[in-house]
Amino acid sequence: MTLGILWTMQILCIPALSPLIIGVIRKIKAVLQNRKGASVLQPYRDIWKLLHKDEVISADASWIFRFAPLAIFAITLVVGASVPVFASFMANGFTSDILVIVYLMAAATFFVALAGMDTGSAFGGFGSSREVTVAALAEGGLLFSLLTVALMSGTSNVFRVAETIASAELTSMLPAFFAFAGFFIVLLAENKRFPFDNPSTHLELTMIHEAMILEYSGKRLALIEWASANKLMIFIALGANLFFPWGIAHDASMVALAGALVAFAIKALAFCASIAVVESVIAKLRFFRLPDVLFVSFILSVIAIGLI
Amino acid sequence: MLENIRHYIPEKFTARMSGNTALFEVPADEIVDVVTKLYAVHSLSLKMITAADERNEHGCFKIFYVFFAPEERAFIVPFIALRNREEFPSCAPVIHKAWNYERKIKTFFGLTPVGHPDPRPLILHENWPADVFPLRKDFNGKERPPRAHGRYDFQRVEGEGVYEIPVGPIHAGIIEPGHFRFNVAGEEILSLEPRLGFVHKGTEKLFETLPLEKKIRLSGKISGDSSFSHSLAFCQAIERLGGVKAAERSKYLRVVYAELERLANHFGDIGAIMLDTGFNFGGANGGRLREMVMQINERLTGSRFLRMVNVIGGVSRDITKEEKGKLIEELRRIINDFSQVIDVAENSASLLNRLKDTGVVSHEVARDHGATGVAAKAAGIAHDVRADHPYAAYPHCDLAVATGKEGDVNARFYVRIKEVYSSYKLIKEALEKLPGGSDTVTAGGGFSLEKNAVVVSMVEGWRGEIVYVVMTDGQGDISRVDVRDPSFLNWSLIEHAGPGNIVPDFPLINKSFNLSYSGNDL
Repeated sequence: MTLGILWTMQILCIPALSPLIIGVIRKIKAVLQNRKGASVLQPYRDIWKLLHKDEVISADASWIFRFAPLAIFAITLVVGASVPVFASFMANGFTSDILVIVYLMAAATFFVALAGMDTGSAFGGFGSSREVTVAALAEGGLLFSLLTVALMSGTSNVFRVAETIASAELTSMLPAFFAFAGFFIVLLAENKRFPFDNPSTHLELTMIHEAMILEYSGKRLALIEWASANKLMIFIALGANLFFPWGIAHDASMVALAGALVAFAIKALAFCASIAVVESVIAKLRFFRLPDVLFVSFILSVIAIGLI
Repeated sequence: MLENIRHYIPEKFTARMSGNTALFEVPADEIVDVVTKLYAVHSLSLKMITAADERNEHGCFKIFYVFFAPEERAFIVPFIALRNREEFPSCAPVIHKAWNYERKIKTFFGLTPVGHPDPRPLILHENWPADVFPLRKDFNGKERPPRAHGRYDFQRVEGEGVYEIPVGPIHAGIIEPGHFRFNVAGEEILSLEPRLGFVHKGTEKLFETLPLEKKIRLSGKISGDSSFSHSLAFCQAIERLGGVKAAERSKYLRVVYAELERLANHFGDIGAIMLDTGFNFGGANGGRLREMVMQINERLTGSRFLRMVNVIGGVSRDITKEEKGKLIEELRRIINDFSQVIDVAENSASLLNRLKDTGVVSHEVARDHGATGVAAKAAGIAHDVRADHPYAAYPHCDLAVATGKEGDVNARFYVRIKEVYSSYKLIKEALEKLPGGSDTVTAGGGFSLEKNAVVVSMVEGWRGEIVYVVMTDGQGDISRVDVRDPSFLNWSLIEHAGPGNIVPDFPLINKSFNLSYSGNDL
């Protein structure tokens, strides 16, 4: 019974809370910029609104365009259920593997990029080209930073990694900190945040992610927006629980679970605040300088592995 | 006056002073030589080429070549009269600046510049019939011409991996409509062609039909963000034609209002440039500072955009003594605030990196295209009407023209910053020197306009030089008004600022010019 409830929580946690994360980031950004900002619940309202709107689909669109949002959303649901959020004991053997997680997400990117090119609009085309460029360069950093903690804990199952790292001594954590620095850069790149992309821009020529989904409207747009929010929360959960897993629940006791939820809330808030600060204090980088930053992420992860 | 400029006019022609211009007729086949000599030998600055349909009065079309002699502060205007012919020799192959003026004459008057390399129409689109010319007197502006289905060919670039990006005229943000056609290899821009004309409103035709009061209102709406400068240029032209002397006090107030307009727009632009690099702090503050100035505008005149403040002979709103002190103090605080924002911006390496070497317009390109305003100053061309041909109270004020060297986004950014500080100084100076009492802000009395005259009026708007050419007929009625917003010249720079940069940098480059679509399309 308890386990049933816990599994429901684990599966629903990410899709239910991800819009809130977006809302919190926007709110912190607004406060940092002397603005009042919309309510943190605004992203829920946006998704709700979009779900009730009609869609316009180009006559030139193929089944890929119609199918991609469902695929992307489904992938983030599966991955969201397979990463540790508040408990480390709910591993499953199929989808909680680091490689499975990384490449499921890559599959989602693949579908968005295909859908972007599907309607034949110039914006979708260059959006997809840019997205794939960034994704390919970010993959090394992502994989190697996750490999660092996997090697440190001797398993590639993310729940076991969280469990092992949580009990590791602080003095042996240096490689994890290096790997985290690399991971955080990839988090910004994969979720199209500053300095890689500007999630709130209206300038169609500078967009990466937004350019790809420019042709979407209504329900499918809602699914894509929701899936992007899920993806960001998955990255936050991975960052919080693989590199700083302290506070995560190791058993199903009430005390441990309550503590774990509080700990995760604090960690997630810290991530939101860091993203908001980055987006408020620096300008976006020139597109051709992005590979340099992603390369730094890769190097940091390689150094981390060398330090183990 | 004529004596001073005698040496500019070839001996076989006799000039007559009309309004503030020295007019002389040149046979059509000699015009290219005369114009080239004025441009290249005497290095006069070509302010405008414009046409007028005088078939009813004189049985001809006239084409005027408006030159400005900065030393004598005089306008030299050779013109040609086309009787029973609709062709004239093109100057564009020798003087690049003439390019778009001649295209415009062809589109609106149906007079063909023979030898012009680009025969495509300007501003009017392919759905406008090719044989209907809206600025001819026999065209009725209230009639809707039949819909045509013409063709417009963009430049094409071919090669492996080269593709086209059509952008606009409807954009993702709330901006004016304009179409940009990019040819791109990967992310690098190979060529870029703006296509404008989507906000063509028939302004020049309206100027011929509306009553004078409404003409002033119309001039304030040519480019909504330069409302004061445009109406000032128009009012000055009418004052010149009517022999009206603007009230002394109003001249100083005109300086104050014009500089407030410049301040508001420069704050907005400086913020918008930072915002387009994603530097949100700067963007938010630019918008905030602009709003503060707009609210001052509203308090002083009842209009955030200073609309309907200019009248013939002065301004409609005075600044009281109490208001004067308050205004100086408020502006001091705003400028203080601004310099703190700029301090923060200058400490952001990521911001400066985006601005430097982006969207370069070289000195040569700027010169040949007749660039004006911020874009020209940033490329090292120190032209400013406020210094070259001062109007209102500018002759009594101290002004150093702000310039840059590199001609990139960064240089345009810094020219604006320098102009913000100089505008503040000018406002302070004008307010301190403000003469007379409050009942003298407009010159009273009736006036009638000089007959058969051509008058040129120039004002340095915040974008650059605004030129009005106003002509009257034999009855002293206004028969033709040609407006040249600085954007008309500066739009041709964009084609040169784009290539070599990457596509995602284009919005930033475009923003650093911040040109008016409405002012260009008229």
